[in-house]
Amino acid sequence: MADAEDYHLIQSKHKAINALLPYAVWQEFGGNPEILDAFLHAARASKMLKFEWHHTREHASTILSKASPHTIVLVSPHIHWGLLTERRDLVQRWAAATSAVPYTEEVAQSVVGTLLQIAYYNRLLPHIPANIWLWLNMQPSLPPICEGRYYGTRLPVAKAVLELKDIEIIKSYFLLVWSEWDHLKDSVFDESCASLHQDFNEAWGGWHRGELIQHLDRILTQLNQGLEHLQQHNPNLEEYHFQRMKDQYRKLKDTLLEVVTGVSCPIIIPHCILTWWTCVGSHTRFMCALPLPCP
Amino acid sequence: MLGKQCLNRYHHIDQGTEIERSQNRQRKLDGITVWYFDYMVESLPSMLQVALLLLGCALSRYLWEVNTVVASVVIGLTSIGMIFYLVIITAGTVTESCPYKTPWSLIIRHLVSWASSTGLAITSAFRGSKTMRTIAENVQYYHPWWSRREITPFLKDMVLELPHALAIDVYHLGKMMVWSSYAFAVGACHLRVTLFMDLHRSPSILDWGVDLQSISWVLQVSLDKSSHLAALKHLASMMELTNFNPTLAKVCFNTFTDCTTVNNCKVVVIQGSEEVAAVSALCIFSTISHLLGTDPTSSVLEEVHQDYLKVFPVQVNFSDNQFYYTMNVLRCLYFQSWRRQGFHWNGYKPPFHEHAIAAQNFVKIAWFKYQETPGKVPCFVLRFALHSLSLDPLPSTSVIANCLLIIAIDLGCNVSDMIVGYR
Repeated sequence: MADAEDYHLIQSKHKAINALLPYAVWQEFGGNPEILDAFLHAARASKMLKFEWHHTREHASTILSKASPHTIVLVSPHIHWGLLTERRDLVQRWAAATSAVPYTEEVAQSVVGTLLQIAYYNRLLPHIPANIWLWLNMQPSLPPICEGRYYGTRLPVAKAVLELKDIEIIKSYFLLVWSEWDHLKDSVFDESCASLHQDFNEAWGGWHRGELIQHLDRILTQLNQGLEHLQQHNPNLEEYHFQRMKDQYRKLKDTLLEVVTGVSCPIIIPHCILTWWTCVGSHTRFMCALPLPCP
Repeated sequence: MLGKQCLNRYHHIDQGTEIERSQNRQRKLDGITVWYFDYMVESLPSMLQVALLLLGCALSRYLWEVNTVVASVVIGLTSIGMIFYLVIITAGTVTESCPYKTPWSLIIRHLVSWASSTGLAITSAFRGSKTMRTIAENVQYYHPWWSRREITPFLKDMVLELPHALAIDVYHLGKMMVWSSYAFAVGACHLRVTLFMDLHRSPSILDWGVDLQSISWVLQVSLDKSSHLAALKHLASMMELTNFNPTLAKVCFNTFTDCTTVNNCKVVVIQGSEEVAAVSALCIFSTISHLLGTDPTSSVLEEVHQDYLKVFPVQVNFSDNQFYYTMNVLRCLYFQSWRRQGFHWNGYKPPFHEHAIAAQNFVKIAWFKYQETPGKVPCFVLRFALHSLSLDPLPSTSVIANCLLIIAIDLGCNVSDMIVGYR
């Protein structure tokens, strides 16, 4: 098994590791998951956004046709979906596999990673079944460098999610892609701000707003620890990205607070109760019954 | 008659397949070389010539007492014959290209060269001798030593210095003899061990050697396509190429080029030679990949490389041919740019045995290239492994094993040349 410290070595050997993938899939199908586990472990430890060797996709259809649902789900994030042939069949096979595997954190990470990647491509987007989007609500913790994070912060994905008009999914999406590991594209940032104004201005959205504010506070706390601290987990981070992240997440928090102050409260409630409400709201899953503003 | 008898045995055509007959022929040929059959056959006429000379001499001797005139005529004829024979021998000895060669001229040539080398050795030994040096120095110092004035001191010095010089020479001579005896004993032991190993060597290895030699012979001598095809198929089926003659790679390449032409930058196979072309391409691949590991500095490799560049420059394509993949792999080996550009393996679904051979050859290339550029197995080799492992259904176990070996080599696993198949 490769260690996380070996990522340079793993990166230099990613072609050989990818060449092993078809055999690993065959073996897993035959009841020997060790090689596949090693492959997935190496892919995660590589700290490589595109771990896939582009020649693998020539054989992706054959590889996935013989794979078990569990393998399809776990391997999918490491396949470049944009240039695949037989896309529709593969997306359907993947979607079927997601419903056939039991939930684990690893599975949720893989499904969300693949979903955000598939949603990036206009040709693939229509083939995504609507129920797959609910996986976003699981809010798995995505690794600092992964396909899901990379594609999730792109405009086509942001638009696809926002067009769903499901506040729960949109909130989960924001919680996934807003992180100390990535800055947002300007267009995505603008779309996010617009969405905060449009979708989260309802008085009923108090609990969601509280959760988002708390998430942004956590990100800003992480960013305040400095670039070096973050580079330990994501060596690709640079000063420029770091500064942009700080600006963007501060502005997002300000936007959320603006939305909060814009929402009127029909009942006068003391400040201490409002604080308690927001805290409870951000830690529980029930919907806010009253149109209360966050403090 | 004796020679004729032996040659009849050699000419006897054994029953069996083309491969078995070729093996028998090769075995007989090897026997001829090992047992110096050619010397034996050549010595037979020489014996007759000696007998004729003796007859002439005896007849002359006998007739001299009976009739001097008749004897003179016989002596004259014998002498003319002998002079003619001596002239032929001399000419054959002096001139290498002289067509009138007899075994005697060859023997004399050997003797002369031996004598000259021995003479040089003796001369150098005398020059290095302390005794000879002492005498020479004294002769030079007391020149003219035979004069009445010099003879006494000259002899006196000689008596005083010669025993010491002789003792030194004897010491060196003895030391040299001891070393020679030791070297001779070691050589004898080595020879005995080699003979023992030869006698007890695995018959399959001997057979492979015989097979490879006979294949090479068939390809070079025969003009029959079916013989070529049989020989090449046998070569392609051989998983072990130990102790093969590097020229076999060139022979295979020549066979391939004989079957193909280049027309408008496209390789076209001559009608009826399709199978020979495909199998010979596979044989080129096998022999080249084996040579790369066993003898990368071989001149044959360079010759084939040059011939390949000359016959199939980079703009020539092999598409629509059975040997498309095989020849493109060679192209990847020879052209750096082509290696980067690569080619698609999509349609590569070779027969069972051909795939196994290709996989084994790719392992050899991977191993060699990894040694040449540490840490790097060429991309086209890894792509072969990826393609083979992606096939549905999976290829044979040997192909899978070899593909995994390629990956293991690239991952830096310690793979010995024995596993790769170079030994």
